[in-house]
Amino acid sequence: MDHPTPASRLVNDTHCANLRHKGMYVTATPDSREHDFYDAYDATVYWCTQTQKPLGPDGRPVHADHCKGGRGCCEH
Amino acid sequence: MAEARQVPEVAAPAVAQGNAAYAWPTHPTYMGTDVQRIDGPDKVTGRAKYSYDIQRPNMLYGRIVRSPHPRARVVAIDLTMARQAPGVKAALAVVEPNAILMFQGEEVAAVAAATEEQARDAARLVKVQYEVLPPLTSVEQAMSPDAPKVFPDGNVREGAAEETGDLAAGFKAAAHVVEQTYNTQVQTHVSLETHGCVCEWDGDKLTAWVSTQAVHGTREGFAQALKIPQANVRVITQYMGGGFGSKFAPDAQGIICANLAKQAGAPVHLMLDRKEEHLATGNRPSAYAKIRAGVSADGMLTAFDAQTWGTGGAGVGAGFPLPYIYQFPNRRRQHKDVYINAGGARAMRAPGHPQGCFITEVLMDELADLVKLDPVDFRMKNLPPDAPDARWRAYFPIAAKLFGWDKRHPTGDATPGPIKHGFGCSANRWGGGGRGSHAHCEILPDGGVIMRCGTQDIGTGTRTLVSIVTAETLGLPIDAVNTEIGDSLYPFSGGSGGSTTAASVTPAIRVTAVKALDALKAKVAPKLGVPPADLVASDGRLHARNDRAKGMTWKEACRTLGAEPIAVDGEWQPGLSASGTSGVQMAEVEVDTETGVSKVTRLVCVQDCGLIVDKLTAESQVIGGVLFGVNYALFEDRILDRNTGQMVNPNMEWYLIGGPSDVPEITAHLVDQPERGVIGLGEPPAVATAAAIANAIANATGVRLRSLPMTPDKVLAALEQQRAGGTR
Amino acid sequence: MKAFSYVDAANEKDALASLGTERNQVLAIGGGMDLLGMMKDYLVQPVRLVNVKRLDATIARTPDGGLRIGSAVRLIDLIEHADARRMYPALVELAEQVGTPQIRNAGTVGGNLNQRPRCWYFRNEEFHCLKKGGATCFSVNGENQFHAIFGEGPCHIVHPSNLAVACLAYGATFRLAGPSGAREVEAEQYFQMPDHNLYAENVLQPNELLTHVTLPAPMAGLKSAAYEVRFKQAHDWPLAFATAALVMEGQTVKSARIVMGAVAPVPWRANEAERALAGKTLSEETAGRAALAAVQGAQPMSRNAYKVRVARTAVTRAILKAGGMKVV
Repeated sequence: MDHPTPASRLVNDTHCANLRHKGMYVTATPDSREHDFYDAYDATVYWCTQTQKPLGPDGRPVHADHCKGGRGCCEH
Repeated sequence: MAEARQVPEVAAPAVAQGNAAYAWPTHPTYMGTDVQRIDGPDKVTGRAKYSYDIQRPNMLYGRIVRSPHPRARVVAIDLTMARQAPGVKAALAVVEPNAILMFQGEEVAAVAAATEEQARDAARLVKVQYEVLPPLTSVEQAMSPDAPKVFPDGNVREGAAEETGDLAAGFKAAAHVVEQTYNTQVQTHVSLETHGCVCEWDGDKLTAWVSTQAVHGTREGFAQALKIPQANVRVITQYMGGGFGSKFAPDAQGIICANLAKQAGAPVHLMLDRKEEHLATGNRPSAYAKIRAGVSADGMLTAFDAQTWGTGGAGVGAGFPLPYIYQFPNRRRQHKDVYINAGGARAMRAPGHPQGCFITEVLMDELADLVKLDPVDFRMKNLPPDAPDARWRAYFPIAAKLFGWDKRHPTGDATPGPIKHGFGCSANRWGGGGRGSHAHCEILPDGGVIMRCGTQDIGTGTRTLVSIVTAETLGLPIDAVNTEIGDSLYPFSGGSGGSTTAASVTPAIRVTAVKALDALKAKVAPKLGVPPADLVASDGRLHARNDRAKGMTWKEACRTLGAEPIAVDGEWQPGLSASGTSGVQMAEVEVDTETGVSKVTRLVCVQDCGLIVDKLTAESQVIGGVLFGVNYALFEDRILDRNTGQMVNPNMEWYLIGGPSDVPEITAHLVDQPERGVIGLGEPPAVATAAAIANAIANATGVRLRSLPMTPDKVLAALEQQRAGGTR
Repeated sequence: MKAFSYVDAANEKDALASLGTERNQVLAIGGGMDLLGMMKDYLVQPVRLVNVKRLDATIARTPDGGLRIGSAVRLIDLIEHADARRMYPALVELAEQVGTPQIRNAGTVGGNLNQRPRCWYFRNEEFHCLKKGGATCFSVNGENQFHAIFGEGPCHIVHPSNLAVACLAYGATFRLAGPSGAREVEAEQYFQMPDHNLYAENVLQPNELLTHVTLPAPMAGLKSAAYEVRFKQAHDWPLAFATAALVMEGQTVKSARIVMGAVAPVPWRANEAERALAGKTLSEETAGRAALAAVQGAQPMSRNAYKVRVARTAVTRAILKAGGMKVV
């Protein structure tokens, strides 16, 4: 089975500069065998540095899927 | 802000691949032994100052006005009366009129006053006019078709379906099928020290004493939110009363505190109270799973089909691993994140794992019962192959022996009388690999040693680990080392999360201490007439490897430095740490079938964490994890009023946390694996406890609880259903 | 917190002189275990507190052979009182179960009897409930797993005092001192249902003090015990509990008083259970039958039907324990 890279690891220059999740502050090493024991899942909690909450300045949930491109409040 | 971005990944091996220059000592003096915390006396005497204890000249106290409503529009905020209240030096609105508030406890305004009491009173004088809007108060309501559309992109966020193998074939091969729904509750972090900080400005420079799991991360967080250079921010966390994943950012209260301090021109102390903690500083999402699973006549798992969902509150997902550990060759899963109007989830001690473990392990026992196999035997048949980072096949028998599993009776204690005893088991897994820590070591001409690292001790014993590794490397007593941590002025180290701290920090300390020692050896070698490579440090001396007499005391050695200390920097290197831990837990419970009250009497935890640095603090981690699990299993539950969505138990009176008489006898059996290097341990022992307890309750009573927490009402209802000729 | 004045009353007369007639404006403070929490949660904002810890804090023998307990007696003093334990074991056992050692060391008998309900709708400021002058008892359609299984409402609290339950079982009388003298009220008449008194849980007037609890001499053959069912063993409220006071003649129950706690807005006397026991030989079966009778009239709410079972168990076990029989 193909195990997609968790979305949490996708935070990069295409994303809003205010998007954060815990993994960005923790110097973890990926657990390379993780998916031998359970399939991919996403327990990532995102927050916005401008609101300090999981909701952005526009009131919508903060997520790596949304906090890029056309979202009005995005900053780069 | 590229600094905060994920650095390129390095794969963590399951076994440390060796690092000759900095290899861990093969015959350590301190490592792996019971070393008491070096700051224990400071903590119990009150000399240790937590963020809560920080006092600064002219310091004010901040207080936040929060929304009492789970969903509301702010019509107007009037600070006039609050500003005029006694002692008030600053007041601000956090949101603008027309802002939509999405959870009870969301920040609306704030004040700072000379005393905490004045701040509380003034906060009540802030007049906020709300237009109350209908909230989503539960997952059931949020998922129903006639629910108000609260979240613009939908109340439900549909995840991608995952499928492996041939589900139809899997069910065809099944001799028995279980179809059940399982669920876990929302759990809040309940850190003993609440969230908050003290902020003090000196011109455009900010110093913040923060209860945080990440001094460097929080520095970056303050800078980004306040739009000031990171170099202008210093974050200090000398002592910290727990975070469990909820303390990685300045949070709203941190930014509010900094803004109040700026407005008042004075330092501000803003620590939250217990109610605010429950409402607004994170939680573990709930989990629901509707599962159909099959097992063959000979006890092999064949198929697993699940729809799962859960809520992380307002705008946060609720993902968790499922199935957990055991190998279903044919499986499918469809997950949905459900948003409701409640405080958002945050990472919490092994995010996702206790949920996935509970659901899978209870299902495993149901399947074992159907094929009439002992739960351990059934698991042994369906576990992944044995490997250094996956040793359940070895640990189940070890745990069984320690626990006395052979005395387990079949499901349903046949002993007469209302009190029933039962055994249950479960397994857990976690990563726990680290990297990236830096350190700085000074060896001073008077013999003093300073080891600095910008990590933080969140209560786990990191400060002690730094001293142990330094002392071990330099051949000195532990109290000869001045360990300095918890300050963003010190060399970078990552946040304490994901059980990565020990595996990040201790290799960095080892590398740095070895480098410092090498520098000292180079100075001393000519004087002793011994090549530096032949010098060793032990028992407070530097001496020739084969001739202890040919050497000098540590003090004499340092005196050769004259006026110039040794100062070296070092950082984490591969080869000293690894990733992947596994463990097994077994629980014994006593259930009163006439009251529904369950009590955990005994718990055995077999757990590995690679090379053990301090056996005492490692065992404490296990014991703490198990207690965490006992509370998750039986007691903790964030209860929202189903009509208003407001939390009815935002306290420690009705949000139950076990006390001393609720603690089982815990056996923490650590498996030392020195060849693997250091691996983190904070999370793994908290994962499996609730599942083992659930299975023990079923073994005792003969009825299966599929919902956490396992309160007396659920136990009695299940027994009642059984008497009425329920499903099984 | 509203500023308040503090009167350190030297005696009953001084204390009474400092009280007022308006509810929650002037409040007596004993150990403060409940009152301080009420004030910090802004549930009451008194203008004056009257310290009553210097009032009678003794436990004395009465002429008829009973005990007279001053309201200012601390729970720890009651627990350590040998006569009280010998004569009224259920009362002392229940005192031992209160809160934590800290609470028992500071909390008083009067405070325990007069503490306000722990209902989470009453205690959380967000809910303007009936008891606080609002229009709704939120428990009816809300989260009622710890609420009453007896009573017609309109408020569905459970009475929080566990000593009160023993007081009813032992037939205690309370001395209430007021501006025009003192009155004696039977414990059973002291506590009031919400349909009679919504804003307080008893007959005590704002200008009165509960000064003493008088327990009658134990009747010949009296055997008594309490049984609490609690989920968490450390620092938790009972789910339900019961006190049984049996007058025994050999193995036969001559008469019984059975009172349940945490099931109703007042300590709940189980008259049916008492009748079911009278004249019967004490056994597991008769105890069980009495317990069934005790919960016969229960009207559980949407989430608390389990409490009927729990209360039944508590009654059975209290009876068996009182009779010196094996409980579980």
